[in-house]
Amino acid sequence: MDKQELDERRSAKLSSDKQKSDKPRLINKERIMRGVFFAAALASILAVALICIFLFAQGIPPLAEIGVFEFLSSDRWRPTASEPSFGILPMILGSIYVTGGAILLGVPIGILTAIFMAKMCPRQIYRFVKPAISLMAGIPSVIFGFFGMMVLVPAIFELFGKRFDMMSGNSMLAASILLGIMILPTVISIAETNIRAVPQELYEGAIALGAGHERAVFKVIVPAARSGVMAAIVLGIGRAIGETMAVRMVAGNQPVLRLPYEFFTGVRTLTSNIILEMGYVERGSLHFGALVATGVVLFVFILIINLLFSILNQDKEYNSVKKNKKGAKSQ
Amino acid sequence: MKKLLALIIIAALMTVAIAACGDSGTEPSGGDTTPVTTPSGGGNDSTPANGGGTDPTPQQTDAFDADRIIGVYTREDGSGTRGAFVDITGVGDDMYVEAVVLTATAEIRTNVAENLYGIGYVSLGSLNDTVKALDIGGIKASTETVLDGTYPISRPFIIMTNDENDGDELVQDFINFALSATGQEMSSTSWISPIDGAPEYQASGLSGTLKIGGSTSVDPLMQLLAAEYKALNSDVNIEISGGGSGVGISEAIDGIVNIGMSSRELRDSEKPDLNEYVIALDGVAVIVNKDNPVDGMDMETVKNIFIGEMTKWSEIIG
Repeated sequence: MDKQELDERRSAKLSSDKQKSDKPRLINKERIMRGVFFAAALASILAVALICIFLFAQGIPPLAEIGVFEFLSSDRWRPTASEPSFGILPMILGSIYVTGGAILLGVPIGILTAIFMAKMCPRQIYRFVKPAISLMAGIPSVIFGFFGMMVLVPAIFELFGKRFDMMSGNSMLAASILLGIMILPTVISIAETNIRAVPQELYEGAIALGAGHERAVFKVIVPAARSGVMAAIVLGIGRAIGETMAVRMVAGNQPVLRLPYEFFTGVRTLTSNIILEMGYVERGSLHFGALVATGVVLFVFILIINLLFSILNQDKEYNSVKKNKKGAKSQ
Repeated sequence: MKKLLALIIIAALMTVAIAACGDSGTEPSGGDTTPVTTPSGGGNDSTPANGGGTDPTPQQTDAFDADRIIGVYTREDGSGTRGAFVDITGVGDDMYVEAVVLTATAEIRTNVAENLYGIGYVSLGSLNDTVKALDIGGIKASTETVLDGTYPISRPFIIMTNDENDGDELVQDFINFALSATGQEMSSTSWISPIDGAPEYQASGLSGTLKIGGSTSVDPLMQLLAAEYKALNSDVNIEISGGGSGVGISEAIDGIVNIGMSSRELRDSEKPDLNEYVIALDGVAVIVNKDNPVDGMDMETVKNIFIGEMTKWSEIIG
């Protein structure tokens, strides 16, 4: 379909080339490129649509068979027992706990780092810190997981194992710490960008009114960047809740209902529930369906988070669109 | 001032990070400094590993605190090793919910090697000397004890056909191949060959398609066999599907596949419809940390640990 469209445009271009001078030719080129961009945008939308269709087509029937209420509220997950039961409440809570822990640890460090980098960092230090954080963003999660398994888990077991009767170092705490580290690059880079985007006039105004540098930053700049900083946090949450590999390697993966303060015990998250059992599950079985349905729940989680993100970013996006339109007109 | 503060915070974070690294650097070496004489270790574990001799708190055997919780490690639902383990030990559906779930043999081994109080299980073929295999009911976990049938946690890898397929020339030829010296050589790569002095196999030059399906535990071995068979008989096409032992057995009975694979013994109800051939044996070893003073336990204890009835080492040692 897209190809046809392209061909049409191409032939239109050829015919117009013969008739007209330089100027319309440029417009036609532009049109072709516009088609290309449109096709590219369509491809990504198509991919999202296909994933949605797959997820809901495969996930809804087993959800209906198990019962939505049962699925979401039961705390028994025994997929291969002779009387199987599928309840993902422990996993939902597990995801929330681990993400919460990661936010608790990662957000303060991340935001403070962002403020430091945007407003206080000497140039020499910035030259090292910035690439270090970019590098951190590029480390594959399995490497983080490996680090967690070989360093974090034994260290936690050594420190707290005896005191809290831990079965192993694989725990909510280990997963939270690891995720707290993993969300840092996301939080830092987005918060930094948003803090830098605050107009310099605000800072100058604050200084003119007699505020010191720190006071101007913390009382004027940071509050002005609030929605951007919130967006950084929300994206951090999204990263944490969707993380699979690293969490699976350190969280213990017990499908057991936990309370928020039991962070020395292991939990299973929604993501690790899927990846743990996907390898051996029989296609088309109820167990398989339950795993896809877990994916649906996760998808809804991410949807809510993205909605939150776009609400927080709404003003800014709208403004930038308006600005662009103005710019186009003036040209 | 704030700049200074920020720098101090960063410095503090780095110190913490370095301290954490130091922890981990010394910890694994602690396990190596005091070797325990293990009956199953093959005797080569008496030399301490290299480096890391500066351990402030060596984990000696007498430092083993029996009041500590047993760290139970299990494989995920659906795994073949888990299936064999829960079937044979009688754990069944009652696997201890607090057990740490891991998805690979290597992960179980690594975690038990790191956790002085850990216990887990791996396929006998993937045992190595980073961990200690327990004697079960006084029987050492080894190839010999699996072969003579005394080691209790073991299972056969079975291929089977229904009567109609059993008469097929190609099917018979493949089974002959699996039971031949060449085929059994594949079995003994990671598993245990049950046949002593298997006959040589001669390429038959037959052609056709073989459908094989069933146990995912047998699958790795079957992949090896199929590749070698195709190399010898280039006109034969082999399709291997998974699904588990139960699927393999029922599809073999119905003739949906020519050859079914199972990693459990056939039930009496299934036997009349099938011709079975044991192509390999697989044992599951129960492993603990090398510095754990426990050298063996009976099957009942293993079961009690893995269903969560026994949660402390003192219940086993004392």
